[in-house]
Amino acid sequence: MKLLLPKKYIFLAMPFLVFASQAQEIPDTLKRRQVQTDTLKKPAAPPNSPPPSAAKTPVVNPADTTGQGMVKGIVKDEKGSPVPGAVVQIRGETTHVLTDPNGRFSIRLPKPTSAIQVVFMGYSTRIVRPGTQTNITITLIPASKALNEVVITGYSTQQKKDLTGAVATIKPSDIDNMPVGGVDQVLQGKSAGVSVTQGTGAPGEGIAVRIRGIGTINNNNPLYVIDGVPTPSGINQISPADIESINILKDASSASIYGARASNGVVVVTTKKGQSGKARFNISQYTGVQVHGDLIKMANTQQYVAAFNTAAAADGRTQIPADLAAGLPNVDWQKEVLKPALVNNTNFSVNGGNETGNYLVSANYYKQDGLIKNSAYDRFNLRTAVNSTLSKIFSMGMNLNLSYAKTKQVGASGDGFGDGNQGASVMRYALLRSPGTPVFKSNGDYVDLPENPSFFGDGLNPVGYADNFDRSYNAYSVLGSVFAEANIAKGLKLRTTFGGNLVITDFKQFFKIWGSDRSLNSPGSLARSNANQFDYNWTNTLTYNFKIDKNQTINLLAGSEAIKSRTNGLSASRSIFPNQSDNFQYLDNGIGIQQNGENESRWALFSLFGRADYQYADKYLASFTVRRDGSSRLSPDNRYGNFYAGSVGWRLDQEDFLKGFEQLSMLKLRASIGQTGNQEISNYAYTTLNSFVGFYPFGGTPVIGNSLTSRGNSNITWETSTQTNFGLDAGFFEDNLQLSADYFIRDNSDILFANPLPPSAGGGSSPFINAGKVRNQGFELQISYRKTLSDDWSFDVSGNLATLKNKVVSLAGSPIPGGRIANEYNATLTTVGQPIGAFYLIPMEGIFQNKLDIFTHAYQGAGIQPGDVKYKDTNGDGVINESDREIAGSPIPKLTYGFTGNVKFKSFDLSIFFQGAYGNKLYNQISTETEGFYRAFNVTEEVATSSWSGEGSSNQYPRLTWSSASSTNNTRPSTRFLESGSYLRLKNAQLGYSFTPKLLSNLKIASMRVYVSGQNLLTFTKYKGLDPEIYTSSNGQGDGVRAVGIDWGTYPSARIYTLGLNVNF
Amino acid sequence: MKNLYIIPLSLCLLLGAGCKKFLDQPALGYYSDEDLFSNDATAVTAVNAAYIPLTFTDGAANPVWVLGDVASDDVVIGGNAGEQADYTGIDLFNILPTNAAVQSLWSRYYNGVNRCNVVTDGLTAENTKVSESVRTQILAQAKFLRAYYYFTLTNFYGNIPLRLKVSALTDAPVTASTQAQVYTQIEKDLNEASADLPEKWTATSDIGRATKGAALALLAKASLFQKKYTEAAQFATQVEALGYQLTDNFSDNFNSSAKTNNEVIFSVWHTRGAQPSQGNSLNYWFAPRSLNGAGVFYPTQSLVDNFESNDPRLDLTIARTGKPYFDSTFDVSWSTTGYLSKKHIQPLSEVPSTTKNDGNLNYEAIRFADVLLVKAEALNESGQPAAALVPLNRVRERARKNFSGTAPADLLPSVTNTDQAQLRDIIRRERRSEMALEFQRFFDVIRYGQAYAEAVIRPGSPNFNYAQHKFFPIPQTELNANGNL
Repeated sequence: MKLLLPKKYIFLAMPFLVFASQAQEIPDTLKRRQVQTDTLKKPAAPPNSPPPSAAKTPVVNPADTTGQGMVKGIVKDEKGSPVPGAVVQIRGETTHVLTDPNGRFSIRLPKPTSAIQVVFMGYSTRIVRPGTQTNITITLIPASKALNEVVITGYSTQQKKDLTGAVATIKPSDIDNMPVGGVDQVLQGKSAGVSVTQGTGAPGEGIAVRIRGIGTINNNNPLYVIDGVPTPSGINQISPADIESINILKDASSASIYGARASNGVVVVTTKKGQSGKARFNISQYTGVQVHGDLIKMANTQQYVAAFNTAAAADGRTQIPADLAAGLPNVDWQKEVLKPALVNNTNFSVNGGNETGNYLVSANYYKQDGLIKNSAYDRFNLRTAVNSTLSKIFSMGMNLNLSYAKTKQVGASGDGFGDGNQGASVMRYALLRSPGTPVFKSNGDYVDLPENPSFFGDGLNPVGYADNFDRSYNAYSVLGSVFAEANIAKGLKLRTTFGGNLVITDFKQFFKIWGSDRSLNSPGSLARSNANQFDYNWTNTLTYNFKIDKNQTINLLAGSEAIKSRTNGLSASRSIFPNQSDNFQYLDNGIGIQQNGENESRWALFSLFGRADYQYADKYLASFTVRRDGSSRLSPDNRYGNFYAGSVGWRLDQEDFLKGFEQLSMLKLRASIGQTGNQEISNYAYTTLNSFVGFYPFGGTPVIGNSLTSRGNSNITWETSTQTNFGLDAGFFEDNLQLSADYFIRDNSDILFANPLPPSAGGGSSPFINAGKVRNQGFELQISYRKTLSDDWSFDVSGNLATLKNKVVSLAGSPIPGGRIANEYNATLTTVGQPIGAFYLIPMEGIFQNKLDIFTHAYQGAGIQPGDVKYKDTNGDGVINESDREIAGSPIPKLTYGFTGNVKFKSFDLSIFFQGAYGNKLYNQISTETEGFYRAFNVTEEVATSSWSGEGSSNQYPRLTWSSASSTNNTRPSTRFLESGSYLRLKNAQLGYSFTPKLLSNLKIASMRVYVSGQNLLTFTKYKGLDPEIYTSSNGQGDGVRAVGIDWGTYPSARIYTLGLNVNF
Repeated sequence: MKNLYIIPLSLCLLLGAGCKKFLDQPALGYYSDEDLFSNDATAVTAVNAAYIPLTFTDGAANPVWVLGDVASDDVVIGGNAGEQADYTGIDLFNILPTNAAVQSLWSRYYNGVNRCNVVTDGLTAENTKVSESVRTQILAQAKFLRAYYYFTLTNFYGNIPLRLKVSALTDAPVTASTQAQVYTQIEKDLNEASADLPEKWTATSDIGRATKGAALALLAKASLFQKKYTEAAQFATQVEALGYQLTDNFSDNFNSSAKTNNEVIFSVWHTRGAQPSQGNSLNYWFAPRSLNGAGVFYPTQSLVDNFESNDPRLDLTIARTGKPYFDSTFDVSWSTTGYLSKKHIQPLSEVPSTTKNDGNLNYEAIRFADVLLVKAEALNESGQPAAALVPLNRVRERARKNFSGTAPADLLPSVTNTDQAQLRDIIRRERRSEMALEFQRFFDVIRYGQAYAEAVIRPGSPNFNYAQHKFFPIPQTELNANGNL
């Protein structure tokens, strides 16, 4: 056969053509693999279908049932029904028998130590050692629960045993019934090297997924490929209940076929499909309550007054009079704002099909209210998947996911600095507000500015602030794809997929005037905006699988992919609303200033790619990938990048010299190296842009000003991630104990970054450059063990851990500060030899205990007193200043880990899931206020009661004073507020009961399970803030990975108790 | 059967052929450098942009009032203990290179410089798309503004980077030029600007653009600051010749309804009710908290004492007990010094408390009284005290006219003293009263020299050390990113 390819593509197709000309027929083993692949998706294969391999293998006459060493037995499925047609084989030999219609078999055992292996489609292989027994029962476990599964890798599927790259798999059973809103959240703690952190605990908050560290200073988000549609954001549009499997392609050889945008790893999500047979229904439902976890111990009114008066006495300020203090309330502001809230999830699905097609329809409603009023996340999903075999050659299918998500936001992090964020964190104000200020006035109004602001501060009333928050996003999305596939010849398949993602985001924020004292300055106003984004991709692949000879198999793939994105945004606002009620929150009702705007941007990618997989005798595996990507974001001269990857694998367990080790069921060594590109920069980075920068009112008439807004650099080229991976997969005791270990080195070179220009260069964003190199290296380990102790008892445990070392290897230009923690003061520095965004602070050495201590120490400024914070003179120049800052740790954990345990006893099941991080630092910025005590904000109980009060009293908390010199010194950004961020969290515990089939059969119910579950039940940490799981605050969003781990008083994660039900009929 | 897969394959081919175009995505809504200077209309917008950093739409982003007055002996920072720590630092001379005011002013004014450089880079001699007349006046405005920004920058920071082109990546880190080098460039720009700028803009919608008078007035100031007294007097005389007058009503300079009076030489325009805001937020920053202001700008007793007895300018400049605060009654608890500024503030009838930071007062960056006092000082310093009396007494005469009711006989008498040293003190005192709270004081105090500066600033800020504090530190953000400083 001949393929007609344009000359341009010949270089890609050459190897394919060579092999194609040799191949005459599709080898049988390949066919079997395909069938297996299909069947594995349907674990409930009809028990009477014989394994396709059976016909060609020698069969021992089942009549020969006498003689020495004969073992008789019965093979049953997990429900106890006999399994006919299963292959029963002596391990290490080729002879085997089939079970009869009653599931019975008999086979001759050559040695008493020999093992019997039972193979049946859709079930994992069982190996038993009868020993002296002559009559045994073998129970099979469905393959979906086993680890020998199919893995979806670049544009095709592979069996896990054939993998040569580093791929982690998450199955529905891992994530079922977790009370979380998003698919990305379920990835947390489930696989080594995949770090998942929610920005804050607010419902609907963004999630940072980092695969194998932080490779670059720009975008570190992985690429999601949902049913063949590459989408950076679509993951938020689907329901976790619709997930069939998630495969995380960690190393470059696995990810490189996705080329552009794959340099941070690829998360391949496959949604559920219909299964052959009559219609099956599933209803699952859980409802729960969320409550707050441990709170920060803040001072009560009495302690606050005492601390205030101590400072006032020291500074000569007016103290809070005793009679005033006596009449004050004692408000716990954290409890005032964190109230129990509801979480609910309802899912309904139906699926079915026949030989020529299948369908699935599912509907999901998820609702999570927030602990803080006016924060919530609601999502409706409707999904359909249809697949149809049109003829022997053609098949096609469609996936369509409609979603509507509404996110209500309150200020969840940060202090409101910068444009476009949701405002300062409610929790921040809750921690700052003095306990002696009541929530409400006697007339029911909120207390806004306390009556004595010099005593009780001027922070906002957090309750009033949260109650009047009105900020919401409505996101309407359509995510879907259609594909058509043609099986042109045996093993030759052409597939074309068109995928699209339309997202319309509708934003509304109404700024209410609610206080009596200070919001007067900002008249009520309404801001609305609408963004619509349409991305599409058209992907074509041609695959050819064939066998060269008895031992050699080759799979080839060639393809093209075109991706285009268009985003259009409209915005409008008006101010001054005479009527602030909900019914009048429409633009037409504002009588003040009107404003509007519009913008549009587009980008495109075009790629060609190819892959060849080679396998020799099931022992030696090799794979090679090439991809050429073009991006509209780069200058036409540097637009294209070529990326290559290769990997090899060696199945040692297939070698004769290991055949004797029967405990060893699988042993594979893997090695890979490859490259991927990254172009996640602004859309027109290669060219200088001028645009509207404001108005100037000459003679009172505003005229437009246009000036430089973005500096271009036409020389920028693709950022390249080069990753080397060494891996080992092993299975012992019939795969009951499995182990997978990987070591990787990931180098991102030519990192695309807009290195900040000095302010004297003037406005306009800095030009992007290929700025340097970052190395991530780490070791990853996954272990699982499962055991069936008896018919009643079984358990499995699995754990994973990953180490990570992140280092900037080179950087063009100056080190880059990031993470603002005070006016014009940044907490982190990205510099050569250190991790990205490492904390860069003056070390605190202790507290000056006496005057001599001050005189003998490096000069810290005028007016320093005993009891003030002592800083380390790291450069030894005798003066404490900015030159004494040093790298003080990194927000990137050195170690992340997860542990899952499941126990089954009869109809009960119990599972627990722990997850944690070790070795990272967090900058507790809110402590600057709550421990710094330099103005009338509340302080922690510890500061109120254990501050320095004389020589030797404390070496941790300075004296209580607001004097300018001392408080400036004591609240100086330093390691004083840097804390360990290590934690271990009991993320989920679940206890379930499955009703027995006997009981259910009368009700026509196939299966039913009820469960109770708890989320975030326990947290072990030394971190003093509300939640060690924090990521970027709203302050640091512009700085991205250079501003991670700074806590401004963050919305905490909730502790969630749920009750759930799962019914299939 | 083969035909079946040829279809999609040929589609691949089509895509491949069309992919060059597929990847060409225009930047929608943006001008390239060429586009911006491709016609008169858009070219003008580029110079318009260069005026914007002068405005006080955000008083924190343009803290010239902090460095210009709070740092001096005229004003202290207000507010509760612990608030406005960085501005307090300026007041008390605990100034780190990370100080917010020090950083904001630097960024803001250099942003202005850069916008001027966009214009001078874009309107090269080869550019023939913009008409000659428009080209000339745009370039002249840009040069005036660049000189204005550099004048402010070098007086606050001393030796600074001198950028005359839009900085690309490679030339972004630059060494500092000496103040003398900066002044040379300021003079060059102003001489070129004054040659090309009109004396007056005819269209109402152009009022506020730089004029010949503005360029000459700034040349006069720049000369004076460099102690080039002869030139300063000459430039001031050239300004005078253009017909500027002192307004009879002193407060017309601080009145939104008298923005285009004859005393205006260069003002920074603001307007109310526009979006994005083009209002003057100093109306918020300087007003007392009980009237929804920020209440952070408190004039000192020392400034009040500087006014000669019965000087009518005192109550037009400073609010105090017993006197009305526009349409409210002044409450002494509004300020720890007992005083508030009346300049830069509007009555509630003009700007209600709900939109406090959207005032429409202009900021009079250069007014004729300033030029007259420059001239007086220049003449006196160049050994012509008698001649100096003329412009000095014009300023005093106007002040005298502002007394309401029957003026006492000894009110602000004309100065006759021609002793150079004594007249120097008289001119300095006059300048302090006339230009009070117009953000000029720190410049004056520093250029009067160490003895004067330490004598007036140390009583309020014992930390002050002339050698260390005559210039503010180069901001940390600049040091971080500019390795050549």
